[in-house]
Amino acid sequence: MTNVVSRESFAARIWRKTLDGVGVKVGFAWIGLLVFTAVFSPFLANSMPLLMSKDGVISAPVLKYLSVEDVWVLANFFLALIIYRLRIAVGKRVLLFLLGSALIAVFANLLIKPPALVIYDDFRTPAYTQVDWRIMPPIPYAPTDYLRDMVSKGLEAPFARQGHVHLMGTEENGADVLSRMIHACRIALSIGLIASGIALFIGVIVGGLMGYFSGIVDMLGMRLVEIFEDIPTLFLLLTFVAFFGRSLYMMMVIIGVTGWSGYARFVRTEFLKLRKQDYVQAAVASGLPLTSILFRHMLPNGVAPLLVSVSFGIAGAILAEATLSFLGLGVVDAPSWGAMLDQAVKSSSFNWWMAVFPGGAIFMTVFAYNLIGEAFRDAIDPKLSGKGEGV
Amino acid sequence: MSQSLLEVRNLRTYLQSGGREVRAVDDVSFSIPKGDTFCLVGESGSGKSVSALSVIRLLPQGVASHPTGEILFNGQDLLKLDDPGIRAVRGSQIAMIFQEPMTSLNPVLTIGEQITEALQIHHPNMSDEEAQERTMLALEQVQIPQASGRFRDYPHQLSGGQRQRVMIAMALACEPQLLIADEPTTALDVTVQAEILRLMRKLQDDTGMSMLFITHDFGVVAQMAQWVGVMQQGKLVEVGPSSAVLHNPQHAYTKQLLAALPENLAKPVHLQTLRQLEQETESKPLLQIRDLKVWFPIKKGVFRHTVDYVRAVDDVSLDVPQGQIVALVGESGCGKTTLGRAVLQLEPPTSGSIQIDGQELIGLSARELRPMRRKMQIAFQDPQSSLNPRLLVETTLTEPMKVHGIGANHEERIELASVLLESVQLNRDFLWRYPHEFSGGQRQRIGLARALALNPEFIVCDEITSALDVSVQAEILQLLLNIRQQRNLTLLFITHNIGVVEYLSDQTVVMYQGKIVERGKTAQVCGQPQHPYTQKLLSAVPRLVV
Repeated sequence: MTNVVSRESFAARIWRKTLDGVGVKVGFAWIGLLVFTAVFSPFLANSMPLLMSKDGVISAPVLKYLSVEDVWVLANFFLALIIYRLRIAVGKRVLLFLLGSALIAVFANLLIKPPALVIYDDFRTPAYTQVDWRIMPPIPYAPTDYLRDMVSKGLEAPFARQGHVHLMGTEENGADVLSRMIHACRIALSIGLIASGIALFIGVIVGGLMGYFSGIVDMLGMRLVEIFEDIPTLFLLLTFVAFFGRSLYMMMVIIGVTGWSGYARFVRTEFLKLRKQDYVQAAVASGLPLTSILFRHMLPNGVAPLLVSVSFGIAGAILAEATLSFLGLGVVDAPSWGAMLDQAVKSSSFNWWMAVFPGGAIFMTVFAYNLIGEAFRDAIDPKLSGKGEGV
Repeated sequence: MSQSLLEVRNLRTYLQSGGREVRAVDDVSFSIPKGDTFCLVGESGSGKSVSALSVIRLLPQGVASHPTGEILFNGQDLLKLDDPGIRAVRGSQIAMIFQEPMTSLNPVLTIGEQITEALQIHHPNMSDEEAQERTMLALEQVQIPQASGRFRDYPHQLSGGQRQRVMIAMALACEPQLLIADEPTTALDVTVQAEILRLMRKLQDDTGMSMLFITHDFGVVAQMAQWVGVMQQGKLVEVGPSSAVLHNPQHAYTKQLLAALPENLAKPVHLQTLRQLEQETESKPLLQIRDLKVWFPIKKGVFRHTVDYVRAVDDVSLDVPQGQIVALVGESGCGKTTLGRAVLQLEPPTSGSIQIDGQELIGLSARELRPMRRKMQIAFQDPQSSLNPRLLVETTLTEPMKVHGIGANHEERIELASVLLESVQLNRDFLWRYPHEFSGGQRQRIGLARALALNPEFIVCDEITSALDVSVQAEILQLLLNIRQQRNLTLLFITHNIGVVEYLSDQTVVMYQGKIVERGKTAQVCGQPQHPYTQKLLSAVPRLVV
């Protein structure tokens, strides 16, 4: 047998094949842009100067006003970059990241005390304007800065007024739409990732146990899966919002807890198949412990099809949040794309910039995740990868 | 030599694969006289199937190209025909049957419909009644019992051998002049293979058709072919009348292939003396199986109550003496693999007793079983699935050692693992590679190394050479004998290949439908079989007497 051998690992090969198409590159570029915007949103769109020098004293007002959440997100981003650089096993990386992230959360809560009240109008008083020099963010408006001092009439089309440039216009309260779009990235990204993360965690465990043990465990598990499949997520969300008020975290948990059944089915099928594989049998015959068999020998081989459905699941979670916000039941205090669409519909006249930009962003994000999901699916499909190789 | 029906001249077939061009068939010329059988032999990847597919033009057009070559069929160059032209030839004048009878038939159509359809495509004027009549005749011709009753059967209602008969019936319904058979019996049991081969020879005598027969099995070649072509890496290295090629091979590669057949392998001398020793002092049994049953329940109805059992292993008692190789022979579905797995407690037995070194295995919990696992290991058939594709060879080898406390630390275990790789004649740097970087033979060696990692006394080898080419099989068999010699291993060698049994084993056990029908010293069982089933099995083996 003279097989063509390659030095590429399985994961590297899947990755290369995934990135083969044009669509998936667009998808990853868009998600990358979103991640960048979400992490650095206070520096991209804010009313206060990034850096200024007044009477020879250099200060950074933005840093002073950073919230606990801002700091946590920023620190997590750099933590992730560092961990990506380390050459350790995937499991250890995840553990390290979770640990670091929790530590950062604790310290950020203890140490960061931003001013309770921010009056954006102050930043346009001489205290901040009559300076030696200052650097403003690219979008010099905060998302909740309603520009009352500027006698703004809300609902201005892009480039409608000389002097104040609003690239995407303003909404009915006079806040800059682009700034709100930028700050809404965080919700869109986090709801998708965290809700899917919760669903994935439950799904893998339940599905893995069903697939490995089969028999009675499988039967009970499948009934549980069927129960959860029958729960209408949107109406459960509505009910919870009605009872407990609006909270982003509650939304994430509910979407996660009701969304795992599909993953469980996937993992179960994979595990049923993998259990009969010779290398799993060999692992059993070697007397390896159950955790090793499940998580080292089976899960990594069964996880690839899961990635496909996860990327579709993230898109679904983003849509669910957008739907809820569109119905006026989303988060109140922070801007969100769905809520912006809701504003567009509710205003008396049709203002295209209020609908096109958030709508386009939701569309692009869901589209990007679907493109990535499709590319993953094609990359792991052995029927497609075997095409034209050795007849 | 009569006039040739098919003449292939300087055929080259290049395949595009991921930006590379593979010379699958490289300057091949041969001819098939009317009424004769031409066998293309070679190992996997040698281009024999691609040659056949080129003849019938079944290769995907964007992928395959023919830079040079002529395929003259009745004087007409098939490579120059347009699509309607080749369709007129395909099926009606040249027919083809494939290796896998499972997937070659459409599962949602009855076999009658499929043959009738093939007939009516090539004879548009044929009436339904006539087509059905011809179909029935064809089914009778391939000796399907009660052909008229099977007309409305679906493929899943037939056995593998019957499906292959239906395939042949379909191919022959239009009375082609040339039948291309691509490994038609490889997926079948040896007794079924013997029947199919006999049938094909008879049909050839009756119809006078020619055959292009592709196989990797020299035994089959000896039975079927008037002419043989030996292929190696796309080139036809030797071609000639079959008796000349098989008994007096000229090319080095042909000689090498023939020498690698298990029946031609030279047995190591020290082994023979060892066996004589053993025959004098019968060693004590390492593994004792008593009344072992592995039954799988068949459940039916709303309450899934058990209506019957599949008796995969039924009342088997067997002793495997220390230091011997016991071969377990039988056809597919006879329960030999289930027995092997039941011994290792990979398949829970229904009842019975399995003792290794005098210690009972049945009834032990997973925790109690763990220390016993060190003593017994298993090696598998399929090189594709026997190694975890996500783990380095190093992890595959050292993880069991760690669990069982072999080696004081990681460095020591890595050293042990590299020694293991060397003992299966692999480079120690292979520790740091992934399974897909290896060939099938190399993977089987790694699989053996894994089985040896815990220093077991007993290994179940489940068809470990069945998926390999004959030359690689020979290397693995020799390696296995060496290792057995060094480590005083006891092996239960599960196989369906009688040649391998004769070469390797001290004792032979024949299984049939879950029961042991015959056992004894290999020479005795293979030389003077007592049980009618053993006799049938042995007589069905295609042999190449050199």
